[in-house]
Amino acid sequence: MKKNQINKYEEVFKKSFSITKDKLTKLEYNSIPEWDSVGHMTMIANLEETFDIVFEMDDIIDFSSYKTGIELLKKYKINI
Amino acid sequence: MDTFSLDSVELLQYQPNRPPFLMIDHVTKVRPGEFAEGYKNLPVDEWFFPIHFPGNPNMPGALQLEALAQMLTVAITTLPDNKGKVTHAISHEVKFKKEVLPGRKYEIKTKVNSWNRGICKGIGQGFTDGELACEAKMIITIPEILKQFLPNK
Repeated sequence: MKKNQINKYEEVFKKSFSITKDKLTKLEYNSIPEWDSVGHMTMIANLEETFDIVFEMDDIIDFSSYKTGIELLKKYKINI
Repeated sequence: MDTFSLDSVELLQYQPNRPPFLMIDHVTKVRPGEFAEGYKNLPVDEWFFPIHFPGNPNMPGALQLEALAQMLTVAITTLPDNKGKVTHAISHEVKFKKEVLPGRKYEIKTKVNSWNRGICKGIGQGFTDGELACEAKMIITIPEILKQFLPNK
């Protein structure tokens, strides 16, 4: 189940930012051109659709990196 | 929500562009957050006809697209609390189908597909003489709203 969740999480990032798996762990907001303001909202929307959740505004603002997102998703009972 | 129209003066409350770059003369029907329609008259002495091109005047494609984007903006800025807010383009995909010639009217129809967290995705079509001249998928934003959702980096 956890393996499935991480795969889904990774796929959202790969799809949202056209990025390969090896670049995910150090990925942060504004660290690549694709993760700009629009990319951020696209990624958030894709995560919401994938995991059937709705982020709170504070969490959207706090979601500043691939790793931070993993911690934030625990609040929504998504354990990766 | 009911529809309403905006004449050329009322429009200025919802569309920050001004002549000669305002590409809308009248909004015939708008339902905030859903769609906006209207037109731009194209008199033969409109500023771009003599220069685009001499002897072969037609409305520049970039301005046809600009008209669609400006109209989509009206569909969003007429929502409560958005009046007077500036919008920015993010990306447009556009196709041009037919020349738009002087002495015509450029009819504009836009539809909002989604409006969420400061980003609007929509479509627009421009018509001349009853035929499709231009169509576009557009993404625009109200930066003042969008920036509230961004990480502090």
